[in-house]
Amino acid sequence: MKSSMISRRAILRGAGVALGLPLLDAMQPHLNGAPSTFKHWDKSLVAPAPRLICCYIPNGVNIIDWIPKDSGTNYTLSPTLEAIKEYRQDFSVISGLGHPASQGGHSGADTWLTGANLKAKPGFDYTNTMSIDQIVAAVHGPKTRFGSLQLSDMSGTGSAGHSHTLSFDIQGTPIPSENSPRRLFERLFVPETAADRKALLQRYAERRSVLDDVATESKALNSRLGIQDQRKLDEYLSSVRATEKQIERMAAWVDIPKPKIQENGLQLSSKPMDGHDRPMWLDVMMELTYLAFVTDLTRVVTFEWSREAGGYGGGGENHHELSHHGGDAGMLKKLAEIDKFHLSRLGKFMGMLKSTREGTGNLLDQTAIVFGSGMNSGIGGEHSPRNLPLLVAGGRNLGLKHGQHLAHDPAKAPPLSNLMLTVAKAAGATVPSFSDSTGMLKGIA
Amino acid sequence: MFRWVQQVLFRCLPLVWALPSLQAAAPPEPAKPEVDTAGYTTVVAPFFKAYCAECHDGPKSKGDFKINASHLPNNFSDVTASGHWREVARVLTRNEMPPKKSKQPPAKEATAVLDWITTQAVKAEQARRSNTVVLRRLNREEYQNTIRDLIGVDFDASGFPQDPLAGGFDNNGSALTMSPLQVELYLSAARQILDRALVEGDRPEPVKWRFTPKVGPADRTRQRLDAKNNPLVNGGNNRQEGNFVAVHRESWDRTIGARDFRVPVAGTYVIRVSAAGTTPDRAAVIRSAEKILGKRRDEQTAKQPLRAEQNQAQFERDLEHFKNNPMYDYGPARIRLTQQLGPQPRTLKEFDATGSISKPEIHEFRARFTTESAGVHFEYAYSIPKVLENFWMQGNDEFARPEMLVEWFEIEGPLYDAWPPTSHTNILFGSTTGATDEHRYATDVLTKFMRRAYRRPVSTEEVAAKVRHFDLARQEGATLVEAIKRPLAAVLISPHFLYLAEPTRANSRTLTPHELANRLSYFIWSSMPDAELLASADSGALATPSERSRQAVRMLANPRSEALVRNFTGQWLGLRDVGNNPPASDLYPQYDRHLETSIVSESESFFREIMSNDIDARSLIKSDFVTVNERLARFYGINAAHEKESAKVRGDHFRKVMVPAGINRGGIVTQASILTTTSNGTRTSPVKRGTWVLKNLLNMDPGLPVANVGDIAPKVPGIDKATVRKRLEIHRSLEQCARCHNKIDPLGFALENFNAAGEWRDREGFGYKGRIERNDPLIDASAEMVDGTKIVGVAGLQNALMGQNELFLSCLAGKLITYAMGREMGLADQPLIIAAVDHMKQNKYTLRSLVEFITMSNEFANR
Repeated sequence: MKSSMISRRAILRGAGVALGLPLLDAMQPHLNGAPSTFKHWDKSLVAPAPRLICCYIPNGVNIIDWIPKDSGTNYTLSPTLEAIKEYRQDFSVISGLGHPASQGGHSGADTWLTGANLKAKPGFDYTNTMSIDQIVAAVHGPKTRFGSLQLSDMSGTGSAGHSHTLSFDIQGTPIPSENSPRRLFERLFVPETAADRKALLQRYAERRSVLDDVATESKALNSRLGIQDQRKLDEYLSSVRATEKQIERMAAWVDIPKPKIQENGLQLSSKPMDGHDRPMWLDVMMELTYLAFVTDLTRVVTFEWSREAGGYGGGGENHHELSHHGGDAGMLKKLAEIDKFHLSRLGKFMGMLKSTREGTGNLLDQTAIVFGSGMNSGIGGEHSPRNLPLLVAGGRNLGLKHGQHLAHDPAKAPPLSNLMLTVAKAAGATVPSFSDSTGMLKGIA
Repeated sequence: MFRWVQQVLFRCLPLVWALPSLQAAAPPEPAKPEVDTAGYTTVVAPFFKAYCAECHDGPKSKGDFKINASHLPNNFSDVTASGHWREVARVLTRNEMPPKKSKQPPAKEATAVLDWITTQAVKAEQARRSNTVVLRRLNREEYQNTIRDLIGVDFDASGFPQDPLAGGFDNNGSALTMSPLQVELYLSAARQILDRALVEGDRPEPVKWRFTPKVGPADRTRQRLDAKNNPLVNGGNNRQEGNFVAVHRESWDRTIGARDFRVPVAGTYVIRVSAAGTTPDRAAVIRSAEKILGKRRDEQTAKQPLRAEQNQAQFERDLEHFKNNPMYDYGPARIRLTQQLGPQPRTLKEFDATGSISKPEIHEFRARFTTESAGVHFEYAYSIPKVLENFWMQGNDEFARPEMLVEWFEIEGPLYDAWPPTSHTNILFGSTTGATDEHRYATDVLTKFMRRAYRRPVSTEEVAAKVRHFDLARQEGATLVEAIKRPLAAVLISPHFLYLAEPTRANSRTLTPHELANRLSYFIWSSMPDAELLASADSGALATPSERSRQAVRMLANPRSEALVRNFTGQWLGLRDVGNNPPASDLYPQYDRHLETSIVSESESFFREIMSNDIDARSLIKSDFVTVNERLARFYGINAAHEKESAKVRGDHFRKVMVPAGINRGGIVTQASILTTTSNGTRTSPVKRGTWVLKNLLNMDPGLPVANVGDIAPKVPGIDKATVRKRLEIHRSLEQCARCHNKIDPLGFALENFNAAGEWRDREGFGYKGRIERNDPLIDASAEMVDGTKIVGVAGLQNALMGQNELFLSCLAGKLITYAMGREMGLADQPLIIAAVDHMKQNKYTLRSLVEFITMSNEFANR
């Protein structure tokens, strides 16, 4: 175990050339996360079914290095996209789109999957609408143990304009996220502790009767409240109703045990807000998503990799600050490094899906992936809601077409909601329109 | 079956709340305020035309601020527009606009415009009722504290989703959301809490396991505890010193412990350790360095005799480092106690090993164990910064560093304060076995419990509805204890428990004494009222301001008021963000875990010191004392500034210390907590620091950078070699940036003597890993504020802030009122804030007087 002994001379030698990179690791204090040793499965446990995952990166990207210079199927990969060149035929890069109603700045995560006008109601600070993943979850939810999963680097819902979640229910209420790999693992894979089937059903029944009781209580209270208080209590009441439904769902699943997953290799202690742990945390959250997909615990996942205006910069750098680059070349370069880091994590996930069989094909071809940001930091640090960085990957068996750059003129581009509508259809939810959509997006499906 | 319960409940519940208001349908939506067109035309428009239009009308408006109808419409119910109007009011109040060289409006005209804006804004706020408290859900902290005080169970609520903030605090009713996930978590929490609180059967047989580790290879030694447990006991490849295992190294073999055992029942256990520590003095450090450096020098010279002279010079240079660097004024050895349940380790505590070999100290900790396979580990946790001169010798056994020594450790439990435990008898009072009329007993139990849980009197119907769950469970054959858990669980997820309800359909009303008790206790304790406060509510006394003030003073003296210190400072000063983007370890090696926890405690104890000793609250800006422990006294150079041992700060607890001459500390802006959270990990950020001072000390939000400014000059030549300050100066030469940054940056420049880890510096380092070389630029901490005042350094900034202490006090008052009421402050609240500051002035500027003022105010007593 004497690996950390590096002679000082070796360091000085190194320092003369390039300021000592090898130093860093040996000098790192002991921390929680270690690189993942997780291995993907050979095949999934289920017959082919559509999946959807939407991954959000904050603060936009270095858009100059992101958008390919030419379009079509023979396009040249941009410097940043080189990070996933291995999967060139498995994704399409789409440029020029944006949400016409978006406010710009750092509110992009709130509307990325909703397309809503947050100031639609004058006099209200905030109104949002149902997100596309929830429309898809409405179709697949009843078939799986969990309707959908919401992941983020900060848990809860966050606050208006700084959402910690990408998902909003039918009322436009944010659905809170989970950020702890351990808690997510427990929720997904650890069986409920009950003596037997009867005891478990009994417990569900108890819970439902308790919920019924408080629902009644809350209705009585509601009638005595003013309008603002009522809105708050409505949130409570609808949450109680939804929980009752979730318990019914659990009761229906009582004879089907949760899949047995060993936690070996999974870095469940990684912490999202720890600079050292961040890459491991990102990996383990994607691995848990992968496990939820192969075991068909859910078919819909949204994952906000970082809260908007937050983010991981690596080596003490500040992602958010870099996004206010003002066109500075040094800052743009660092941004591109972060973008490539993010893409490499996405590539790793795509690799796992691709190597996993499902039916006669692979899991990647069954999984529609939307990756991108609701903000374009621009060539001068503008923070614009137009010409957003977007990738659609996987889902070939669902009808998605890849290996292309679909370029749109930002001034005349169709709304981003058209892409959302098209992806939702591929993922199995055919709806006539979504948010401010004007039709399907051409070229992707 | 459940349908039936529901029907019964439906039948009986409306009786309870058969109030006239029940008949009414949904209450009306808030009305839109009338738009005052006449006032706009006669007062505002001519003013704009005369003094503003020259620069702020038309497409090329300066500072991206336009006074036309699309940017600044006369519509205060629009959130964006009212924000712009606020900006107009601000620049007029502070004489920032029109610029000095332009035509100046007579004070009368400017005041007329300001009055008009304020009136419109207040009208809009009142129409939107944004100045009312909205039904408040208990946040995580409040939930946890309430469970502790209601049931006597320490429940860890950190697994609940983070609570959203508004106005800077996470106790704002309108921002706190509810979701199915949360209801699910409340349900399972209720179950866990009640399972822990209520017991059945005989007291579990306690265990007391003592482990005596000895040095040796890992995972070879087992110690049989009982038939089921034969855990591994590890001493590691360390040095045996009599009965002690002495741990010298930080990198390997640094852990002593036992694992692979299971406690017989889940519960709270005591972990005890007999430990000692040694701390070499400076002379010992120099001796050991001399020896190691000398050996290296001799080896090198043996290989390359021609380099003998250089090697000797290097030896001397390096030895200087060990003679002079303050990091070698070692503190006591430090131990990290971790508990392992299943595969996951968790840090329980880090503490100083204060004992000695002749007189070891027995440290005691409490921890919850489940029946999972468990482990307990004591880890060496004294961190010496790893720098070029020492990192390669840190693993050397001869290198003098604090050592941790462990003699034995033990686990004892499960602990109960009695049998059945108090948590049980507080709910199930008297004898449960003798209860002949079970239904009546359950009614009594629930009446008592619900009154405390709902924090108000409860009606017999409310209780009866819950007792039904008990009766039903008994009919189904549940034991009495199991059966009573059902209604108790329902209480714990009831909206009356989870929310601070102040029901009314009127625009405003006086709060009931019990609602007042809740406001008071959630303000000062972040928890439920205690018996005395409830009694005061029962008698109606709380309705009088003097009684509220009396209670507030009593509550501040109670240790539970620690919640106010922690939650208020944690959010106002941003202490919860410490560690999110810590200084990069290669550039700031002195920033370790012990320092990180210490800098948070410093700011908390500083506030506590000022609050509990009635010190002038303006000391928050500037003080002649600091509150530090030994780790910080070393970091700040306070120990080095004292010759005499008796004057040095020793030990891990925080205490008030007068600032020695030459040490630039004292006041919030000198504290490393704020200085690191406003830095960028690799470098300082004057912008962040300036923004922080504006927002949190002066209550001026400079806002976010203007969106869509496409014309920022992209490249600045030579930027790589420029200091942070230089780069920002270039940035500010752009007009669209200057509008805000002229206000922000100077405040941050004044703090440039503190590096990104909060350490004092005279130069900005450009050397290897940020080291300061001889010719590196001196820090220029001079700055010119918008009004032309010149300030130099942190002292200059503090004096300038003292000059603005009125603004600071309003900021502080505004923040504390926001926290106390759980709602954001609007323009309509300005008179309240001004009155609060006046009250402080008449009462020696104490924080206590501010708390008293808040609790006595009309706003606090009404909704």
